[in-house]
Amino acid sequence: MRMKSAVRGLALGAAASLSLSAGQAFGWSLEEAAKPYAGTTVDVVFLLRPGYEAAEEMLPEFEAATGIKVNIIKHPYENALGEQVRDFVAGGDLDIALIDLVWIGNFAENEWIVPLEKFTSNPDLADPELDIDDFFPLVLNAFGAWNDTVYGLPFDNYSGLMFYNSCMLKEAGFDGPPKTWTELKDVYGPALTKDGKYAFALQSKRNETQSADSFARVLWPFGGSFLDKDFKSNLLSEESQAGLKFRQELMQYMPEGIVAYDHAETVNALAQGDVAMITEWSAFYSTLTSPETSKLGDCFGVAPEPMGPAGRKPALGGFSLAVASQADEDEQAAAYLFIQWVTSKANAKRYLDMGGVPARQSVYKLPGVAEQYQFVDALVESWQDGVPEFRPRFAEWPEITEIVQEWGTKIMLGDVTTEEGAAELGKRMEAVLEEAGYYAGEKPLAQ
Amino acid sequence: MTNRSLFLQILLLVAIVLFCLFPFYWMVTTSLKDQVVALASPPVWTFAPTFDNYIEALFEDKVGASLINSLIVAVSTTLLALVLGAPAAYALARFEFRGKRDLWFWFITNRMVSPIVLALPFFLIVRSLGLLDTHLVLILIYLTFNLPIVIWICTDQFRSIPRDLDEAATLEGASQFRIFRSICLPLAAPGLAVSAIFSFIFSWNELMFALVLTRTAAKTAPAIAVGFMEGYNLPYGKIMATSTLIVIPVIIFALIASKQLVRGLTMGAVK
Amino acid sequence: MQAGRVSRLTVFGFLGPAVLSLALIGIVPLVFAIYTSLHKYQLTNLRRTPFLGLENYQTVLSDPSFWDAMQRTMTLLVIVLPLQLMIGMGIALLLHRPGLGFLKTLTRLSLVVPMATTYAVVGLLGQITFNLKYGVVNQLIGFLGFDPVNWLGDPTNAFITIAFWDVWQWTPFCALVLLAGLTTVPGEIEEAARLETKKWWTILRHVQLPFLIPGLTAILILRTADTLKLFDMVFTLTRGGPGSSTELISLLIQRVGFRVFDQGLASAQAIILLIITILLSQLYIRLIYREVEQ
Repeated sequence: MRMKSAVRGLALGAAASLSLSAGQAFGWSLEEAAKPYAGTTVDVVFLLRPGYEAAEEMLPEFEAATGIKVNIIKHPYENALGEQVRDFVAGGDLDIALIDLVWIGNFAENEWIVPLEKFTSNPDLADPELDIDDFFPLVLNAFGAWNDTVYGLPFDNYSGLMFYNSCMLKEAGFDGPPKTWTELKDVYGPALTKDGKYAFALQSKRNETQSADSFARVLWPFGGSFLDKDFKSNLLSEESQAGLKFRQELMQYMPEGIVAYDHAETVNALAQGDVAMITEWSAFYSTLTSPETSKLGDCFGVAPEPMGPAGRKPALGGFSLAVASQADEDEQAAAYLFIQWVTSKANAKRYLDMGGVPARQSVYKLPGVAEQYQFVDALVESWQDGVPEFRPRFAEWPEITEIVQEWGTKIMLGDVTTEEGAAELGKRMEAVLEEAGYYAGEKPLAQ
Repeated sequence: MTNRSLFLQILLLVAIVLFCLFPFYWMVTTSLKDQVVALASPPVWTFAPTFDNYIEALFEDKVGASLINSLIVAVSTTLLALVLGAPAAYALARFEFRGKRDLWFWFITNRMVSPIVLALPFFLIVRSLGLLDTHLVLILIYLTFNLPIVIWICTDQFRSIPRDLDEAATLEGASQFRIFRSICLPLAAPGLAVSAIFSFIFSWNELMFALVLTRTAAKTAPAIAVGFMEGYNLPYGKIMATSTLIVIPVIIFALIASKQLVRGLTMGAVK
Repeated sequence: MQAGRVSRLTVFGFLGPAVLSLALIGIVPLVFAIYTSLHKYQLTNLRRTPFLGLENYQTVLSDPSFWDAMQRTMTLLVIVLPLQLMIGMGIALLLHRPGLGFLKTLTRLSLVVPMATTYAVVGLLGQITFNLKYGVVNQLIGFLGFDPVNWLGDPTNAFITIAFWDVWQWTPFCALVLLAGLTTVPGEIEEAARLETKKWWTILRHVQLPFLIPGLTAILILRTADTLKLFDMVFTLTRGGPGSSTELISLLIQRVGFRVFDQGLASAQAIILLIITILLSQLYIRLIYREVEQ
């Protein structure tokens, strides 16, 4: 039933570029591939977000076809990293790793995840229709790859977008959303902040939201970055400081207590008509367009994030799924089959319709998709020129993000100036990198 | 004068009752709101109640199973703490031996260790024993804070029982164990009851160990409730429905036992 | 005197099970924690766990965030503990007075509710009721003519909010313990005192207080220890924010251990915290609770 090893040799490495290989595909089917693994259970951590609910709804079909049981363990995002790290350290039960792009360096260096090559080169497992080039290259590279090795396939994908209340904008005399951050602050800000309403809200709660959605978001468009090319802090550079100062000035057009706003509060502020614009992850499209959770109705609008002096550089975030190395061979194979199936080209449209955001280029070219989902154009555009190291993806990120969260909020609260905060942040960040061995040349300067 | 002071008393008492119960009231009403109503600004006090949150919590999110887990763990650990703790407390109250004071203090110290420091070591040990995600692990670990409470309250309780009783029994040749079981234990009932109430409440409400040491099968109710807090979307109605389901049983239990609470909470004052 | 003298075997029979089980469950992990505190024990990099000696302890002792968190915790303690004791004492005295039976029973029952409420749930409730926009607290103070307060987004207010909920949850406990203490005052002594003076303060100070000492000590020790490890409620309410304004010591340790994954440093922090807690409790006991030493 299985292909002979000679054939396997021929197929080695080819699976990655098999988009026109439908002719060879006659021998492969999910059912056949899964036969040896029927009855295997694979454990995976899922979040409580729309993309995961979509996948969960699709799951019964996979289980029926393969006899593989997928055991979903749900955690809120804030616990998901700790839960997985402890499981991997202790040699636990997880067979699939759910990897936020900022965890990939960590997981890869600890060898908790298996390079994809192991499975794509196995013709028994690799779907000839895998077509890995169909993933947005930026997304695949940022979410799933580390040091030129692909580990995971992009599963739950986000880009930063601007959502706005077109009615409020119109009332204030604007035809559309601002094109640049400066315009947002100087023109839209004063015009839209009045009568208890605010022009803008930037989710800045002290958790990953502060690092990803707030701090990094003002750093990049102004030409700043966390690190320079020698891996020293770049936060005191003129560009980084411009971004951080911009955020301080913008705060006068944001609701009080913005440092306590997480995604839910921010999205709700727009949904209830209290703020005119937010920059949020693409995944909130469904929340903001559903009448059950949003009052916006026809006033809803979506656009790419505004540009800064250094370009658009929108927030980039998302999760890939990779096979865990602690799983035994059967579990690994079964895990791979699930990952391949749930991120496949064939399932992309259904995943999208159920509330997920696939990273397959092909699905957004399907007729009608761009009309049905207003966010598509903005999303596709922002995935063209994003920055993979929007937040550095190296193993030290979990330590560094804690520092950014602490000092980022201190800056916003005015406890320290942007310079003082950046200096302290830089000092602590460099101490972590020093200890990790980057400056001693023990580790390549990869982020 | 007396009328005024009576009026003042009534006013104060009503204020205390309102202060204690208002958050509870708000929790229950929020649990009956759908998401849009729950996030209404300003908050609304009258609305068409819905039970959707409860249905979702119980049937989709397995809160029911987690309540049963909580019950199993809380009851077992309480019983175990009493069985182990009462004799120890008796010995500390009645017997003379060296290092008694230090031993008592060591017992109490266990109550002071922050669970955060023990959580990871426990995780690794439990993992290597293959006991992760089981009731047994929580039952045993909760002894670290329940046993000290039982020993503390019961030591004081035993000490307040007059010694003439058991001295008489000793003269009649009764064994220490018989004196303990037949004479002192019944007299210490209020103390036992109070320590049981506290053990139960502490165990029922525990979060840290439950978060780290359970996953699905043995997950307790507070761990489930906290798991709904995703920064992406805060289903306040469902969170409050779950909270209500968690809080109601322990409150009922505490109310039933509240008479004992005042009788036994004397913490060793001489009667 | 002679009743206390029993054979070693009897002592062991009574104490053995409790000592052994607590030793096994409590000491083994603690030893492990001490071991990790002497090493670089980064959970995300266990390939390298060099012995560090006391370096982690040095880091902790010279780390401003540790002492800031410690100070915040102590500030909370000195704010809430007197409030809980005073209000609790007031409630206990009120309930101890004769009359109004039904209303007092109702009050006593109500007191049980905050005490029994799951700590994590208290934090969740706090999030909902103290929310700037849709929180009921701002609506209520609005009825009284005040402007809405930004409870959770402002550092000082957030601290006040957690203090409020701690007082809400634990004042009833103090009240019940003190009420229990008041019931131990022999009726004839109290009545005799009431004939002599009408001042409740004098009666409290000279007649009732001696009977309240054990309860007060218990409250001091328990509340101090519990405040030093206060976690659940603050975690679900503010997660230590905004900024670091409500990052109490246990939240800091949790962050270092479970989010930065530096288990070695977290263990060192926790052990220092434990030492501080033990010292404080010893102090209380030395000062007021001599009974055990008799």
